[in-house]
Amino acid sequence: MKALTSSLLIFVATSVLGGCITASVEDERVETTGLLAGESVVVMAKSYHQGNETEADYIRCVENALRKGKGAVRVIPTQQFIDNLFPWFEPRTAPVDTKGLVTLMTRPGVPAAVKNMGVRYIVWLDGDTERVTQGGSLSCAAGPGGGGCFGFAWWQDDADYEASIWDLTDSESAGTVTADYSGTSFLPALVVPIPLIARTQSKACSGLAKQLKSFIVSTEAV
Amino acid sequence: MLIASVRRISVELCVPTQLRYSSHFHSSARTIDHLIATKLLKSSVILISLLAAGCASNVTVEQPTIPAPHIDKLPMDVAVRIPAEFNNFVHEENILGKEKWTINLGAANAAFFEQLFGFMFDNVIVLGPADDATEYTFDALVEPQIEGFEFSVPNQSKTDAFAVWIRYRMQIFDSVGNSASTWTVSAYGKSQKEGLGSSKSLQRAAVLAMRDAAALILLQMDKSTKIGELADGPLDLSNLDGDGPVEEDNGFGSASIFAIGGIDEGTD
Repeated sequence: MKALTSSLLIFVATSVLGGCITASVEDERVETTGLLAGESVVVMAKSYHQGNETEADYIRCVENALRKGKGAVRVIPTQQFIDNLFPWFEPRTAPVDTKGLVTLMTRPGVPAAVKNMGVRYIVWLDGDTERVTQGGSLSCAAGPGGGGCFGFAWWQDDADYEASIWDLTDSESAGTVTADYSGTSFLPALVVPIPLIARTQSKACSGLAKQLKSFIVSTEAV
Repeated sequence: MLIASVRRISVELCVPTQLRYSSHFHSSARTIDHLIATKLLKSSVILISLLAAGCASNVTVEQPTIPAPHIDKLPMDVAVRIPAEFNNFVHEENILGKEKWTINLGAANAAFFEQLFGFMFDNVIVLGPADDATEYTFDALVEPQIEGFEFSVPNQSKTDAFAVWIRYRMQIFDSVGNSASTWTVSAYGKSQKEGLGSSKSLQRAAVLAMRDAAALILLQMDKSTKIGELADGPLDLSNLDGDGPVEEDNGFGSASIFAIGGIDEGTD
């Protein structure tokens, strides 16, 4: 019973407490946006051929966050979009700018495939989450009589992402949304380690997705 | 720290066991010691074998499927000679001081090129390594080969990604067997490590590299090798300027033909 209470207390403490996160989300609108019924969005990572390191789980997180909650938008799965437009959106062949998009939209079969899927916007994600610094020391030991940890460790993660939104109806860039999150996690341990984790990437995902939904759905004039 | 503690436990467990045997069974102590030594030796051999097995990774790449491309087929009959190695390609590599990787592409390359050329040309004849090409009628014969296969794992690249590079060499002959061109295709695939299975990530990187090669071949092969001109008949050797067949390396080192990440303006 005592052990159960301790575990519960640790769980509650770690759930309530967390690391510190500072966040900045900005958007820059170039064109008027809006999403009509039946229109959808596709989320893509900029090509790794250009050195982009955007994590696959971050892309999935943004996709899921766009699909859910207030102002949810219809999202076409990335792989389905790439397969339906093969070979024009492969890492090597995908357009790098809207000039390339204009050329691409003249290729036979491409506009029809885009129309069939109802894709209005492509959201290109760039950036990643990196551990920028860490410190402290923590040591654990275990023996026949039990074990425990002692010490204090901390680390800082920076999540910097940029989403470029392209409107496929006029092959123009609609604007960009950037999310810069910095989170510091702490791990104090006095027999039992108590992780105070800053979920930097997860917060950057929800922050970017929220702003993206607002950006896309808004019909605000430029 | 934790490992050190575990080691200490194993010492504590082993030493009293031996002492107990030697004190209680004086008459047969040697036999028992011998038995214990044998058992320990066997256990050590099993443990070492298990550890050694843990340092070897096997990856089997399933046949990749290429989606139907949005390109126009070239109106010509092409024969593709699938080399023997394409039916059972295995790449083995020891990463110094780390682990041994065995990547089995099996018949993935054979299936890949059959499907790819089926999308590129009006008619495709698939020839085996032993087939006599002179018994068939075609406009051009393509002989793909794997010139190089390389990969990197996160330990090497100090990233979370597995990467695969495949270099294909395509030799093209006209309908009477003259060498028309040689083209090297360098393909690259990268997949981030997800979950616990390294083999799945490396497998995906290999499939992405093959898909990368497919995209490049679909969009650039005719431009780089002028294979389409062979539909008008075999090479007129008297018109060649003496430079021999077209030879081009269209890999990552070459930025001229296909700007990485962009659509070549002159693809049409």
